[in-house]
Amino acid sequence: MGHQGGGGVKEEHRAGPLFWISAVAGWLVIGWGLRGVFQHSIDTRPANLARFVVGGALLHDLIVAPVVIVLGVLLARAVPGRARAIVQGALAVSGIVALFSYPLVRAYGLAANNPTSLPRNYTAGLLIVLGVVWAVAAGLVIARLRTTAPGHTG
Amino acid sequence: MSIKLPAPVQRFTTDLDEPLQQGVYRSALRDERLAAILGASLGILFSVCFVTGLYSHVQQNPLSWFPIQPRPAGLYRLSQGLHVVAGIASVPVLIAKLWLVWPRFVAFPVAKRASHLVERIGLFPLVAGGVFMTFSGVANIAQWYPWKFSFTASHYWMAWVTMGSIVAHVGAKWMIARRALARPSRRPALADADPVLGTTAEVPNGHGLSRRGLLTTVAAASGVLTLTTIGQTIRPLRKLGLLAPRDPATGPQGYPVNRGAANAGVVDLANSPAYRLEISGRVARPMSLTLDQLRALPTHDAVLPIACVEGWSYSAPWSGVRVRDLLAMAGADPDRTVLLESLEPQGVYRTSTLNADQAADRDTLLATHIDGEPLALDHGFPCRLIAPNRPGVLQTKWVTKVVVV
Repeated sequence: MGHQGGGGVKEEHRAGPLFWISAVAGWLVIGWGLRGVFQHSIDTRPANLARFVVGGALLHDLIVAPVVIVLGVLLARAVPGRARAIVQGALAVSGIVALFSYPLVRAYGLAANNPTSLPRNYTAGLLIVLGVVWAVAAGLVIARLRTTAPGHTG
Repeated sequence: MSIKLPAPVQRFTTDLDEPLQQGVYRSALRDERLAAILGASLGILFSVCFVTGLYSHVQQNPLSWFPIQPRPAGLYRLSQGLHVVAGIASVPVLIAKLWLVWPRFVAFPVAKRASHLVERIGLFPLVAGGVFMTFSGVANIAQWYPWKFSFTASHYWMAWVTMGSIVAHVGAKWMIARRALARPSRRPALADADPVLGTTAEVPNGHGLSRRGLLTTVAAASGVLTLTTIGQTIRPLRKLGLLAPRDPATGPQGYPVNRGAANAGVVDLANSPAYRLEISGRVARPMSLTLDQLRALPTHDAVLPIACVEGWSYSAPWSGVRVRDLLAMAGADPDRTVLLESLEPQGVYRTSTLNADQAADRDTLLATHIDGEPLALDHGFPCRLIAPNRPGVLQTKWVTKVVVV
């Protein structure tokens, strides 16, 4: 159902020399990396590494992404139109900040006998950041409702 | 020959030759131009990480044909700071980009041409590499190691896998990205008419994120993460560092450390009256100095940074004996490599090496004082190496042997 009709492979979809040259070059570099992984297997522990590399991709592609997509659909139904964009943005920022700070909040890396390791209260830090994000979002929603209020626009 | 999927499943699949926005994935944000902007941003951020990462790697794994120079003194601090800042800033960009192109993941048929197949196989190291590099980097700066492999070795070799996939991906997407980026921002009516990209109109005013809104959101998320962590390396911003794993002003004598004396197992050895600093190897006059003898030697002052591989850093005034003065006293050739050994009984970083240029630098010191006070045990008492343009892990603490190689 191409926009320009016509059979066969459309010009824009045809893989040219650039495609194949970069593919070969890219795979040579990938091969160099994989060779390094296996050559230094005492350090890289390929079996354990593979669990994290493959697991990370599968976790994202099969769980995180679909969940976010479904949440997006639900959000679009639940939040009124004029506030929706701002709520979506604030939620995305909040989710990313929470994800990033998760190991800090859980203090996984806290070293005994070292007062400089994870010196802050990261739960409080996260809450402050989220508070600021949602305060800004609330301000934007109010501003938007004012400018698009029925009385205002006539 | 074609395999038919049951209609309810078919509904959720996509066609590789159609634009990103299709079928049930009808969000106006799934747009080629946005994908190209996010992709180009990721390409730049990952390249910064790659180049600075290579520099950190050759600092720690010296190459004979690329001897690390001791100047500029703050180069490693800048380079590693950039590495961590760019890595953190790439997290939201990567998440947004993966969300945007996710419908490609459920394309059916899986490939229509040989080039499709090559491209799609290459997407696996691309996505897995990108997710692994950012996850392992973020976990590492939080000093969280939920795995059994060595972080440095694995992060390094997977960086090649990731960069190789980026090269292949850039080649595959170059034409479409260039077209998408060249296209000026269009009004909705034009969008409907655009035959190449077939992107439909922007969502009506105020209903859901616009394309610009998505970019603003990604920029805001990157900005929030940067602002709340960069204070670990830029001291004036330390009060903003709500999510920074280190505070450049918290620690013994007001400076942080990565590994204290207790954890390194050196408390008794460092405090012992039997402590000696030995200068040996290819020297005319081997020496063995007590702490008092060491402190009686002429000292030199230098303001130098400690720049941790994990992206935090601070600069401090140090004083101590110049390594080159010690070598001259012992009668060593000036163009020799020098191995330093710590009191630490074990560990990857119990020794470090100074190449000839580094050993000869005027500011390369075995420091005994910081801020005019004797070093705290956690900072490397009785003496530590402090040299310009060097990763913190190689600024060996609790030095007890100087071996001229």
